[in-house]
Amino acid sequence: MIYPEPKFLAGGDRFVLIEFGNEMNLELNFMAQGLATAIAGQRTKGIVETAPCFASLLVHYDPDQISFEDLQREMTVLIRALGPSDDIVLDSRLFYLPTMYRDPWTRACVEDYCNKITKKEPDPEFVARINGLSDADQLVRVHSGTEYWVASLGFWPGLPFMMALDPRCVITAPKYNPPRTWTPQGTVGMGGASTAIYPVATPGGYQIFARTPVPIWDTEKRFPVFHDSIVLFRAGDRVKFVPIGKEEFEFVEAKVKEGTYIYNVVEYQKFSVRNYKTWVSVLDKTKRF
Amino acid sequence: MIEVIKPGLETSIQDYPGRIGYWAQGFPPSGPMDSWSFRLANLLVGNSADAAGLECQFVGPALKFRDATVIAVCGADMKPTLEGQSVPMWESVAVGAGQTLALSFATVGARAYIAVAGGIDTPSWLGSRSTFHKAGVGGMEGHALKAGQVLPVGTGDGTPGRKAKAEARPLFATEKIWHVEVVAGPNDDWVDEAGHQRFLSSDWKLSAKSDRTGFRLEGPQWTFTAKATNKAPEHGSEPSNIIDQGYPLGAINLAGQTPIILVNDGPSMGGFINPYTVPSAAFWKLGQARPAEILRFKAVSAEEAQALRREIDRACSQRNIT
Amino acid sequence: MAEDVTTQVPGNVWKVLVKPGDKVNPGDVLFILEVMKTEVAHEATQAGTVKAVNIEEGQEGVDAGTVAVIID
Repeated sequence: MIYPEPKFLAGGDRFVLIEFGNEMNLELNFMAQGLATAIAGQRTKGIVETAPCFASLLVHYDPDQISFEDLQREMTVLIRALGPSDDIVLDSRLFYLPTMYRDPWTRACVEDYCNKITKKEPDPEFVARINGLSDADQLVRVHSGTEYWVASLGFWPGLPFMMALDPRCVITAPKYNPPRTWTPQGTVGMGGASTAIYPVATPGGYQIFARTPVPIWDTEKRFPVFHDSIVLFRAGDRVKFVPIGKEEFEFVEAKVKEGTYIYNVVEYQKFSVRNYKTWVSVLDKTKRF
Repeated sequence: MIEVIKPGLETSIQDYPGRIGYWAQGFPPSGPMDSWSFRLANLLVGNSADAAGLECQFVGPALKFRDATVIAVCGADMKPTLEGQSVPMWESVAVGAGQTLALSFATVGARAYIAVAGGIDTPSWLGSRSTFHKAGVGGMEGHALKAGQVLPVGTGDGTPGRKAKAEARPLFATEKIWHVEVVAGPNDDWVDEAGHQRFLSSDWKLSAKSDRTGFRLEGPQWTFTAKATNKAPEHGSEPSNIIDQGYPLGAINLAGQTPIILVNDGPSMGGFINPYTVPSAAFWKLGQARPAEILRFKAVSAEEAQALRREIDRACSQRNIT
Repeated sequence: MAEDVTTQVPGNVWKVLVKPGDKVNPGDVLFILEVMKTEVAHEATQAGTVKAVNIEEGQEGVDAGTVAVIID
């Protein structure tokens, strides 16, 4: 449900969680990001930083500069000024990420889990089956067939949580129980309705079925795209996974190692919620790629 | 320059208030857990508030100072010695060129802070020298100190023999019980009345499996309201599962039935509820609690928590250094 | 020469590697504690025979400064 009025929930002495609703709905994330952008634009006094998540915005404030009540008042004014969520327009970069689906590294990782922790069906076949897809090939077609909206970063620095923008490509996947103790760096996986990319080899619980050779964080700033940030993504970016084979993977990997890889990022687009919703409304959601 | 002779259990470079402004990228603030003791140490050696120092956990390091300087050790008593001679805590102490400061293990409290005049001068990383070891950023090559490393020191102006007034120091728990303030929320309405009663009246034991990422607590079961069970399936199947949300620093995160207090190096978001949050004024208590000690939680309002925080700010000021 | 080996950190006992009667040399790991997800090995500093072991594997919440192993 989208709340008629957002809820302001105190988080200790310095945080407020602003909840826009309680369901997995892109609209709630558009509202969270719209508010974050408005706060950044206004440079609201006393707000240290904000962090959007799926259906909420976490605000970190300085109680010596603004009280919880005044913050709530300011935020309510900004939210009203945003207008209906349909009016929201956000700058949105688009990244084309070369990605090998059904790669050997995630397969080996899952096999290791089966040997050491508990048996499970291989992830690509499992995810295809539970979503009513004909096989893992269709999973590749469907998963890679849409742009993904970066709703939030977190859990690990730079780890993006993304939602499929094309409703015909929405699939879901339960999390591992118990979780894996490791995941190859660059793995692309799914948990619930969200897709994530593992920046480094962390433990994890998402179903895994692809891998990108392109770094999504870079402490050494070896590539121009990391000039202003060691983390590649920010909320509001879109990602298109471009399926590649093993040879192309190795080619890109070598370019990355050399430091000559050129990131494919499009930076002239704005994302209009109204246009998006209009487009979604004319799609035949019963058909898959 | 400071040479690391023995690194201690896990000693790291930290600064206050830590790495701020990168929560949206998933970077926690890191920084000293007991910032009260840390700030007093910096004041004692004449440093500016943003100078970096060392956080020592349970077993402290042995450090050789190449140049004469002034240091101060505050926090848990790790029985500091200089060239084998005992030196006082909560006071600035002159160190001669080539002398070694050694910290032993704490028996009361968990963390001690070493400030050196001029501060530790490692490169700043996203605005802070604090160490975030999980991601290998900040501090000394991104991790805790290792034997043989040499730490650069800035130019300082310290005076030995300065003392932090006793009334301006944190008062450590006696009888291994800590009374920790908490503010209800953000997800307090997911826990039922009995669950709140139980949380606020029980003894919660700090697990040894706790670290700067999270403090794991052992205690009774939590019980929930309808909100935790009548929810859209995308939240997840456990009562404590919620659609991924931002986590406030200090959130008491309920992973299934295990409460984990998210502290300085913790995750910025996730899919579990946070019925209570430990406010910044109580963090020093977390920083000094030892495994197997008991935490008892006391509910306060956000305003009360903010007032407590201002009291600590007043304590950490020049007028309390004699 | 007798040696009391005390715990240097508070924590849980992860492994106990000796029992009474065992001969030990300097540097032998006697037991390993776990705290902050870190293993802290405790070694003998002198040669001798283990006289008593006061801790057991799986024991939780052992305080620092506890006499864990006595060596004769």
